[in-house]
Amino acid sequence: MVHETLAATHAVVTLDVALPDVFWGWYVTMNMWAKSIGTGLIFMLFLLLRKNSSETKGLRTSVTIVSFIMMNVFLLFTLADLHQPFRMWHIFFYPHWTSAITVGAWMATLFVGLEFLMIVVMLVKKDEELFDKLLFWTTILGIPVTLYTAGIMAESTARELWTMPTESVQMILAATLSGSAAMILLGGSKLSDESKRFFGSILGLSALMAFIIYMSEYIFGAMKAEEAAAVLEYIKGDGEYATMFWIGQWVAYILPMILVALSRVSNSSSILSLASILAIAGLWVVKHVWLVIPQLLSLS
Amino acid sequence: MQLGFLVDLHLCMGCKGCEIACKVENEVPLSTWRLRVKYVDVGTFPETKRTFTPLRCNHCENAPCERICPVSALHYIENGIVDIDKERCIGCAGCVMACPYGAIYIDPETQTADKCTYCAHRIASSMMPACVVACPVEANIFGDLEDPASNISKYIQEHEGNVQVRKPEKGTNPHHYYVGGGNVTLNPLASVREEGYNLFNKLTHLPLGGHH
Repeated sequence: MVHETLAATHAVVTLDVALPDVFWGWYVTMNMWAKSIGTGLIFMLFLLLRKNSSETKGLRTSVTIVSFIMMNVFLLFTLADLHQPFRMWHIFFYPHWTSAITVGAWMATLFVGLEFLMIVVMLVKKDEELFDKLLFWTTILGIPVTLYTAGIMAESTARELWTMPTESVQMILAATLSGSAAMILLGGSKLSDESKRFFGSILGLSALMAFIIYMSEYIFGAMKAEEAAAVLEYIKGDGEYATMFWIGQWVAYILPMILVALSRVSNSSSILSLASILAIAGLWVVKHVWLVIPQLLSLS
Repeated sequence: MQLGFLVDLHLCMGCKGCEIACKVENEVPLSTWRLRVKYVDVGTFPETKRTFTPLRCNHCENAPCERICPVSALHYIENGIVDIDKERCIGCAGCVMACPYGAIYIDPETQTADKCTYCAHRIASSMMPACVVACPVEANIFGDLEDPASNISKYIQEHEGNVQVRKPEKGTNPHHYYVGGGNVTLNPLASVREEGYNLFNKLTHLPLGGHH
């Protein structure tokens, strides 16, 4: 590894006015976090419909509206993060299809359009059959909508830490984690104990799998690539983001896993609700740390 | 035609003439650079030396910035240059995230992406890029890589075995070469950046965007 020769060369940069570091900051974190909840809720509504359709009676409209709001929060922050937000329309009139940003913008717009249609169908027509048909196609579309951010991260060639296989799994897990958590909170007394346990299991398993992947990156990521090793230093030891990284891991994954297990033992809805709140809040922190740390490394 | 750049680091003396010429020619705003010269000091006193490395856009054959740009603001022109249409750019900073060389910035005045274009406007008028003209030791060699009789092709042939590109592992196939480079000059991980070691410690920056 090159950095191990530093003691011999004692090479010190004495003049390089590198360009400022973090370009994708908390606006983009908000983007990813809100999208996870928005698509995750649709996935969970679809699962509930397949598992126990009678329980979706009072939840179709409310869950879709909350998902629609979260998707609009995602779009709002995407727009706000642009340095030329009034040129957003260029994506639709001058699309460049090799870009995951373009593909994602089109899919997300279609997804939000379908959600709007679903809300209209429920509020105006009150047609549950049509709603369920639309839900099927919205759920299918929700998968690439969830994944495309991983594509953007993969196309960010300068950031070796972000790889498509890992990030795509993490995006799906973020959606199932936050979607199940939001469903538990929204469902409340409308969900049976069995359904709560079901969503609790999804929450706990998503947290477990996401935690395993992060720990794998944390421990083994440095062994494969010098650049990834340098980035991971920011979350190790007294690294700049070490505390924030562990707060995220505990709040998003470790505590919810423990609380989900406790809620099953004690059959407590309130413990499950607490696990859900922590998972949703912690996910923001986890996403933010992973977004920012590769941007701290100087590219020159 | 495939235009390319080569910098002979044996010749570069870090005068920054190229940097200034670029700033003036392209009216590059304060706090931003299309081309900059990095200084790295190697060794311990009294056995020390200073290296100089001009850094600019590599005009890659497989350019990540062109691929990620959602509106084709970054695009190839027929002579191989990766050019930018600032009127088309939406300022998403995808290119900033994709460029492995840190060569793209958001222009604080136009709020759009910008970078070295090998002075495409000068080339269109059959002139050399401003940095090439300004270099007092002809360390910057520019020309058509597909023409075996061009200066750059001859230079590459003469120095075969000592021609490098930055971060070849990224698979971007840069059209920007260095002669006499090494880990210290071309690999950012081969040198440390210590607080207080910079020649100019009190630099101020204009706000360039990003929300921390």
